[in-house]
Amino acid sequence: MFLALREIKYSKLRFLLISIIMVLITWLVFLISGLANGLSSENASSFQNIKATHFIVQPNADKKLNRSRISEEKWVEIQKLSSPGEVTPFGQKMLSIVKQGTDHKVDIAVFATDANGFLAPDVIEGKKLRNDAQHEVVVDQSLSEKGIDIGDWIQDPDTDQKWQVVGFTKGQMYSHSPVVFMNLHDWKSIAIKQTAETTTYYNAISVKMDSLNIHTLQSQVKDIDIITKADALQNIPGYKEEQSTLNMMMVFLFVIASFVQAVFFYVITLQKTSMYGVLKAIGASTAKLTRSLVVQMLFIIVLVILCSIGLSYGAQALISSSVPFQLEVGTIALFSGLFFIVSIIGSLLSLYQILKIDAVEAIGRVE
Amino acid sequence: MSGKVVLENISKWYGEGATFVKAVDQVSLHVQKGEFVAIIGPSGSGKSTLLSIMGALLSPSEGRFLLDNQDVTKFTKNEMAQVRLEKIGFIFQSSNLVSFLSVRDQLLLVSKLAGKKEKEAKQKSDQLLERVGLFHRRNHYPEQLSGGEKQRVAIARAWMNDPELILADEPTASLDSKRGRDIVEMIAKEVKSRGKSAIMVTHDERVLDLCDRVLMIKDGQLSERVATHI
Repeated sequence: MFLALREIKYSKLRFLLISIIMVLITWLVFLISGLANGLSSENASSFQNIKATHFIVQPNADKKLNRSRISEEKWVEIQKLSSPGEVTPFGQKMLSIVKQGTDHKVDIAVFATDANGFLAPDVIEGKKLRNDAQHEVVVDQSLSEKGIDIGDWIQDPDTDQKWQVVGFTKGQMYSHSPVVFMNLHDWKSIAIKQTAETTTYYNAISVKMDSLNIHTLQSQVKDIDIITKADALQNIPGYKEEQSTLNMMMVFLFVIASFVQAVFFYVITLQKTSMYGVLKAIGASTAKLTRSLVVQMLFIIVLVILCSIGLSYGAQALISSSVPFQLEVGTIALFSGLFFIVSIIGSLLSLYQILKIDAVEAIGRVE
Repeated sequence: MSGKVVLENISKWYGEGATFVKAVDQVSLHVQKGEFVAIIGPSGSGKSTLLSIMGALLSPSEGRFLLDNQDVTKFTKNEMAQVRLEKIGFIFQSSNLVSFLSVRDQLLLVSKLAGKKEKEAKQKSDQLLERVGLFHRRNHYPEQLSGGEKQRVAIARAWMNDPELILADEPTASLDSKRGRDIVEMIAKEVKSRGKSAIMVTHDERVLDLCDRVLMIKDGQLSERVATHI
């Protein structure tokens, strides 16, 4: 501690500069992770919050719900083989709608489900979704930012079908669009009218059961594929691509940050070789010298992490709500921990230098 | 015959076969309490090796080195570091102060390494700085000091843990004759007043009159030289 902190105090500028670089990089990592979180929740919060464990899809649909078609007959067959409450049909379609009386189009994702099933949304305002009502929808509250409120009618300009918004739900986004929940009766009218098919289909059957029962079901029904909730999430159009791009950026920043820090400490350790020789000669043990270096690195990294966390929350407060940005305590803790561990590993390079220095070198040398 | 510092038939050699070099050859030396010994010799004569052995930095290939009745040659590396910290004070060729520590912290570092109490260490460092005439410069950094001042700090640092033996490696090398003489006088005075031992390796003939004994090393062998000025 004695040496570590006094050196930082004496070489303020040097340590300040490296800290600023580290803070900027760490801050950027946190910002990107916030953006990744925000985008992921904007893209797929409906699937992150979904209560299903698995989805039954068509075998050749490439695990993508939007490509999959499950016929009414198959649904009836599956229903017979499972207990009530374990399965529920799921229809999904992307639409562009307008608020009745305006011509401003808004992209939405239609989710059709049994209003009494486990996929039915929790309503935070207004009425719940009902099976016996016609042309009623419950929508994600972000639609209110587009001027659509409870009681308003929304309309598909291509087919002129209309639905009345009766309730708001929250945390229901799919493919960057707010989700509009409707019952299966209304689903039939859009599913049939908009495709060449004459019978009703669903995109998938959502399932809530343990994996043992799932296997039994799979062996009993022909021509189905069962995917997990995580698979379904990864296969939302654009989700995997978006997340992997951001993750790659974060990995690179991690590598850069750890190298910058490791190299900085390596170079200043090399500069201090003669000093370490003298300190060893006057009786400082290698353990004490390495402890001093590690304390110094940890002091800097803790300060850097704290600054970056502060700056990230500051940025979150300043960024407008239209930007998908969401910091998660878990992610920040994970990255902080990683930075901490990586800098300890980086210090090994410098520790090796200190180990190598022989105290005898202090004798008979002119500076 | 006993003393603070006893070297018995110390030898140090390096390499083998064609590269075999005997740097120190059968050296025996006794230094008493309050005695200030100078070792002179041409470069390559084994001065530095001998100093490293007496400084517990290097183990001899052969022979015994007793410091304050302890056989240092039997010690492990860590024990040697402990001996250096507690029993030996070093004064190096070019002071070798830690660049980022203030004059006072240079001294406190030594007691900190030895795990001594801070309050006592502060008193002690202030006393020592007073004695070398640098108390008013205690908050300055090495870069703000002259060569002579740095060397005085190094002397104060060497005394910090109250060592039995002071080893000086050409302490006057980077100083002019006036300042060099001041420094050696200071070492001599401290050695006498504290009743400790000091060994100085030097090239500087002008300060030899301040030493009690002058030894000459040549090709690794030590011999007594009759001092002319005593």
